[in-house]
Amino acid sequence: MGDSRMKTLEELTMLEQFSLEDLLDRRALPEMLSSFQELTGVPARIYSLNSGLLAGPKSAPPLDALLEGFPDGRRRLRDTIHEVLSVGVTVDDPAWVECAFGAGYLVSQLDHDGRALGRIVLGPVRMKEATQGFSGQVIRLPEDKSLELSLEEVPEKTLPECKDLLRFFQRTLDVLAYSGFKAHLASSMHLATVRENFRELTDKNTKLQSAYDRLRELDRLKSNFLATVSHELRTPLTSIIGYSEMLLEGISGELNEEQREFLGTIHQKGEQLLELIKSLLDLSKLESGTMSLRKGNVDCGALARDVATTLAPTARKKNVSLAASVNGELPLYNGDAERLRQILLNLTENAIKFTPADGSVEIEVRLVEQDVRPGTISSGAVLGSPKRRVIEIRVADSGIGIPEDQRERVFDAFYQVDNSATREVGGSGLGLSIVKRLVDAHDGQVYIESNEPRGTVFVVSLPCK
Amino acid sequence: MQLDFSKKQLTIKLVYYGAALSGKTTNLQSLHEAASGDSKGRLMTLDTKDDRTLFFDLLPLTFNDKSGLAVRVKVFTVPGQVIHTSTRRLVVQGADGVAFIADSRLSETDNNTESFLDLQRNLQGQGIELEKMPLVIQFNKRDLPNIRSQAEIAEMAKMGREPVYLAIATKGVGVVPCFVGLLYRTWEQLEATHGLSEKFGFDGPEFVADVAAKLGDPRPLRDILADSVGGGVHGR
Ligand SMILES: Nc1nc2c(ncn2[C@@H]2O[C@H](COP(=O)(O)OP(=O)(O)O)[C@@H](O)[C@H]2O)c(=O)[nH]1
Ligand SMILES: [Mg+2]
Repeated sequence: MGDSRMKTLEELTMLEQFSLEDLLDRRALPEMLSSFQELTGVPARIYSLNSGLLAGPKSAPPLDALLEGFPDGRRRLRDTIHEVLSVGVTVDDPAWVECAFGAGYLVSQLDHDGRALGRIVLGPVRMKEATQGFSGQVIRLPEDKSLELSLEEVPEKTLPECKDLLRFFQRTLDVLAYSGFKAHLASSMHLATVRENFRELTDKNTKLQSAYDRLRELDRLKSNFLATVSHELRTPLTSIIGYSEMLLEGISGELNEEQREFLGTIHQKGEQLLELIKSLLDLSKLESGTMSLRKGNVDCGALARDVATTLAPTARKKNVSLAASVNGELPLYNGDAERLRQILLNLTENAIKFTPADGSVEIEVRLVEQDVRPGTISSGAVLGSPKRRVIEIRVADSGIGIPEDQRERVFDAFYQVDNSATREVGGSGLGLSIVKRLVDAHDGQVYIESNEPRGTVFVVSLPCK
Repeated sequence: MQLDFSKKQLTIKLVYYGAALSGKTTNLQSLHEAASGDSKGRLMTLDTKDDRTLFFDLLPLTFNDKSGLAVRVKVFTVPGQVIHTSTRRLVVQGADGVAFIADSRLSETDNNTESFLDLQRNLQGQGIELEKMPLVIQFNKRDLPNIRSQAEIAEMAKMGREPVYLAIATKGVGVVPCFVGLLYRTWEQLEATHGLSEKFGFDGPEFVADVAAKLGDPRPLRDILADSVGGGVHGR
């Protein structure tokens, strides 16, 4: 349809500044006209108010061809066309424009929704009844032209027949224009809806992005706050612990049994508080990203044994057996020995904490060739090698276990699977989230598996480069 | 609204809003049937195969006023389904008046409310307060069982500022008075903002009464407007 620019819904439905060529499929018109001519013998033309002839007969009707052949005839033809285009008509009141030799044209208007859009012109036809409107102007035909031959080809109709044809033609075009309008409207609407949806989505995205930015900013502030507060807390606490220690050592005189006991409690609780604050500080450092790794070659097997030795007294106190083993040959791992030690300490301490008496905790270190697990590597994984080597550190306990649906969340700060258990065994709940962040910093993974028949296995897998 | 001074043409946009299947399209069909030859245009439905409105329905009506002003009324419906919210927003743009079609069945109360809030949101999105929009409410499907009682509707209607109509759109009952009520409200607003009577010698009440007659309701305007419950249209 003519105009390449899509009209807006408003223009289409309220202003209706469209033309006939907007509504009619220009390419379909000639076909319609020729089948009309085949059926009725009458040629037809469609004019648009804006841009003249939209469609007409494939070849000039014989009468037109005849008239074109001599100057008088040509002039006559031009005058007729002028009159056809200017004569006053309405939809219900067509006009008859005589051309020559009793043949002429029937002209009517084309409307859409009460507005004139163009004209329909049927003819040339010969009207059977004598018509009054004929100007009577006689055209002299040159000797060499044969009128009969050409006139024979001009269909002859009665006035009512002509009007019927016109009405039929008009209605057909009306339906075509209506369908065209509908199609036009539907596609504009479609486009407008897509645009509107896009606008809406863009809008929402922007809002989401700014909400996200704000949250990140809050997160940063929280970390800063934690760092500052823990630091401020630590200073007076150091004094509390230091002075209670000095008192306990008898620096300021002998203590009686009761005083010693009270001071012992103060000192012990002070130490506990300090531990908690240290964890908080660690966590906030990790969160704010100010922690940097001091990497070197680490023997993970030795590290595991060392941790087991360190925690042996704790385990013994709870009557939990603790063992470390290395499975096969291990390469040296490039990482931060102190941080790795912290990871292992936290996990093992945690395991002992949640394992009841007579239970066991086992640390196992091994080298595995891992299939690339789907979703564990960013896109482009297909280009890399399918196997990769990881050092796996497994800390297995025979404790209360962690339900499947909670295994991701235990790494969130302050989260504890079962608060009653925590209260019993003590602890801040920060240990695991610290572990998670330290492992992340090593580009490793930490996750939880079940330990059959009872308990939990924390698996730290560290990729070998 | 579009005002074409040179052609003395006024084009008004009225929108039938409401939840899916509340009877908006049926209202338009009924109006289309009621309209007489020279005023009615083709009812256009941009719908899907399953007969649910996809984009909108459009009924163009033209009424020639004595003053020589040609008033072209474009009546639209919106697609009610929740997912077509952006289409509703597009259709309601530039509306001069809104008829809210509610399904009278008790089971539809939530859907009605939801759709009404949606209307309010979509108008607000264009900076239009619902209170400023010429509005009528129609409780349709009065022929069905388990509907909100007339007494209850009348009671509730007193609290609102908009006239409320009862209708059975499938039988054409109440459809024309609802339309006439909306047209009247819309005229009041246009008169206040554009001074049509002064510019064109356009007599609103007479015009609306004339439209009602052309839609087959020859009663005096006052009586037609009195078909509503609640709202403040009567007796002005
Ligand atoms: N019983 C009854 N059915 C109605 C009435 N009005 C509409 N319906 C029916 O409700 C259904 C939905 O109507 P429709 O006009 O398509 O709803 P729209 O989604 O709001 O356009 C159709 O099956 C209608 O025949 C009414 O007054 N009474
Ligand atoms: Mg519908």
